[in-house]
Amino acid sequence: MTRLGDPVYRLLVPLAAVVVFAVLLTFSLIRMFEIENAMRVEAEQNMLWVLHQSEVSARRLSETAALADLGAAGADELSLRFDILVSRVAMLTDGPQLRFMQRIGYAEDLEWLTGTLDALAPMVAGFRAGDGMRLHGAVEPIARLFGRAANAAMIAEWDDLGGRLETYREQLRQIIAFLIGIMAAGGILAVTLAVALRQSRQRNLMLRRARDFSGMLISSSGEGILAVDGAGRCTLWNDAMAQLVGKPAEQAVGHALSEVAGFFDTATVRQSVQRGLAGEATHLTLQPLFRPGHDAPRHVDLRFFPMLNEDEIVGVILFVHDASDRYAARQKDMQDRDRLEELVTERTRDLDEALQRERSAADLYRNFAAMVSHQFRTPLAVADSALQRLIRRGPRADPDEVADRAVRARNAIAGLTRLVASTLDTVRLDAGQLGARRVRCDIGEIVHAVCARQRDAAPEREIRIEAAQAIGGTAALCDPAHAEQILENLLSNAVKYAPADTPVYVALDGDTTHVWCDVRNSGPPVAEADREKIFERNYRGANSAGIAGTGIGLFMARTLARMQGGDVALHPGADGVTFRLTLPLWGAGRP
Amino acid sequence: MTRQTGATVAALILVGAAAVAEQQDPLLQVTGRIDGGSVSLDRTALEALPVTTLETTTVVTDGTHRFTGFLMRDLLDRLGAGGDHVSALALNDYAVDIPMADFYDYDVVVAYSMDGKALHRADKGPLWIVYPRDDHAVLQDIRYDYRWVWQLYQLDVR
Repeated sequence: MTRLGDPVYRLLVPLAAVVVFAVLLTFSLIRMFEIENAMRVEAEQNMLWVLHQSEVSARRLSETAALADLGAAGADELSLRFDILVSRVAMLTDGPQLRFMQRIGYAEDLEWLTGTLDALAPMVAGFRAGDGMRLHGAVEPIARLFGRAANAAMIAEWDDLGGRLETYREQLRQIIAFLIGIMAAGGILAVTLAVALRQSRQRNLMLRRARDFSGMLISSSGEGILAVDGAGRCTLWNDAMAQLVGKPAEQAVGHALSEVAGFFDTATVRQSVQRGLAGEATHLTLQPLFRPGHDAPRHVDLRFFPMLNEDEIVGVILFVHDASDRYAARQKDMQDRDRLEELVTERTRDLDEALQRERSAADLYRNFAAMVSHQFRTPLAVADSALQRLIRRGPRADPDEVADRAVRARNAIAGLTRLVASTLDTVRLDAGQLGARRVRCDIGEIVHAVCARQRDAAPEREIRIEAAQAIGGTAALCDPAHAEQILENLLSNAVKYAPADTPVYVALDGDTTHVWCDVRNSGPPVAEADREKIFERNYRGANSAGIAGTGIGLFMARTLARMQGGDVALHPGADGVTFRLTLPLWGAGRP
Repeated sequence: MTRQTGATVAALILVGAAAVAEQQDPLLQVTGRIDGGSVSLDRTALEALPVTTLETTTVVTDGTHRFTGFLMRDLLDRLGAGGDHVSALALNDYAVDIPMADFYDYDVVVAYSMDGKALHRADKGPLWIVYPRDDHAVLQDIRYDYRWVWQLYQLDVR
């Protein structure tokens, strides 16, 4: 409240002083004009002198009349003295003199006087000796009348003078009082002026200090600071700015900003300056700033603010902060993040694969018994049957028969050994440890060997081999153990699912790049929905009900074939069921 | 030189006129520092001077009056007067010194008639020194008022 009231109060005192000053001065002037006017008008009457002159002229006439009787004065002299007295009376009965005589109560006396002089005129004109004393006697009262009138005039004039002086004194006293008031008002004004001057000086000093301080801040600022006026001309350019842009202040201040550096002529910066001039603050981050002689730009943050004077926008101030370090840090962060993402993806993939393998291993162990029964039972049954026959025959067996049975049993055991190795391979495959040992191998031989074993295991089933090319000419690039395992798998499946008393066909063919082996039976075709699923691990088709199996055979077959650059596929067609093993041809694709 | 000669001739004419009108009463006597030392002028001689008319108020009458007469400086020039001031004398022995400058600064008139009527000795005549009071504010002052000599009959140039 005090701060709000202060300026009003400070303004009120000098204002009142000025008003008092003016009023008092006006009154003083009016009084002085009055006095001046009064002095001019009042000072023009001097009736005392007029009446004295009149008395003198009367007494001279009276004296001359007395002397004329004695012959000491002539008629001319008497006439002159009379005329002079008449002229005095004429004057007294004229204008201002008459009004004064009326005021002091001598109007009637003047009338008497005029009458008396008219009566005396003939006596003067026709003067004779002896008239002198009569004339003397007649004029004597006139002289006394003038004496009394002079007395009254003196008193009246002095009364007037006294009154006038009294009035003047009163007016002068007023003027003196007014002047004292004027002096006081002037004093107050002078004091107010002195105080105002002192405050103004102090404020100027403070402003100058604030300006110097601002200037120091600007010049010592690590941030680049520049200012432009409404016409886009640079008005401020500090040292940091000069370093950032590579131009000294002398080449910047007073020039259009677009001429100072191309950076300021870019659309973004130009728009921001325009927006600043429209009163809007803008913040731009990490703008590239190219400098002459440098290939790599600096990256700067820009802050634009409108500059206000009272309520008017007079320009824009721009703070430029060198954020190159931050930019570099951000770039590095982004690179790190990309690398990290890649790493995570890679590790996730590894982990997924490991998890998959773990699951496979778990499945494998879970199905191990089934697998043993499925894959291992056949050779064991072959060996067991051979050995049983030998035991039953006992001593009756001839050596050839013994040898034949023994070889058959050994073959079965050898097959079992291979199967064990293959099973271990499968485990290793699942664990990702198995590599295909691809060599040149004759696929025809393998087919015959597998078919022979299959006939041993299931003698009742007829197996026909149809070779388009001569056996021994079909050399494939593959792991022989794997190829054998695949074919055994396909063949045992074909035998298992073929209707009774129908043969299983094995056909061998090839082209310039691949060798293939078709295993076909005349069983019912695989349901459309099952055609791909039967290659999945642990899947068993709709027609497998009641038939022993692990659901792993076809999965293993396809996995092993693909490992060697080949494939196992279900051949389309309604004429029986045909599975085809494709393997790369030996020598194909080699230079 | 020319001016002085002209003045001398005029003075001689005036003196000559005065001599011719020997029988008339002289109205004005001029003495002191003039050509010939002393001269008496009668009505005819005075009326021979260039006639001037002046309308003004006075301090001893009401209203404005029209005065007819001649300029004091015309008379003094004709007589070759050379002093600083003129001592004017009235019939009632009133005497006052008038600075010569007054006659050249202002058109001071020696009037012989007022409002068309000749001034008479029983009033303010025969001659009345009249200042152009209404034309100059500075003349409205008692220090000029006492220079209005009426019943004038003698001038002494000093």
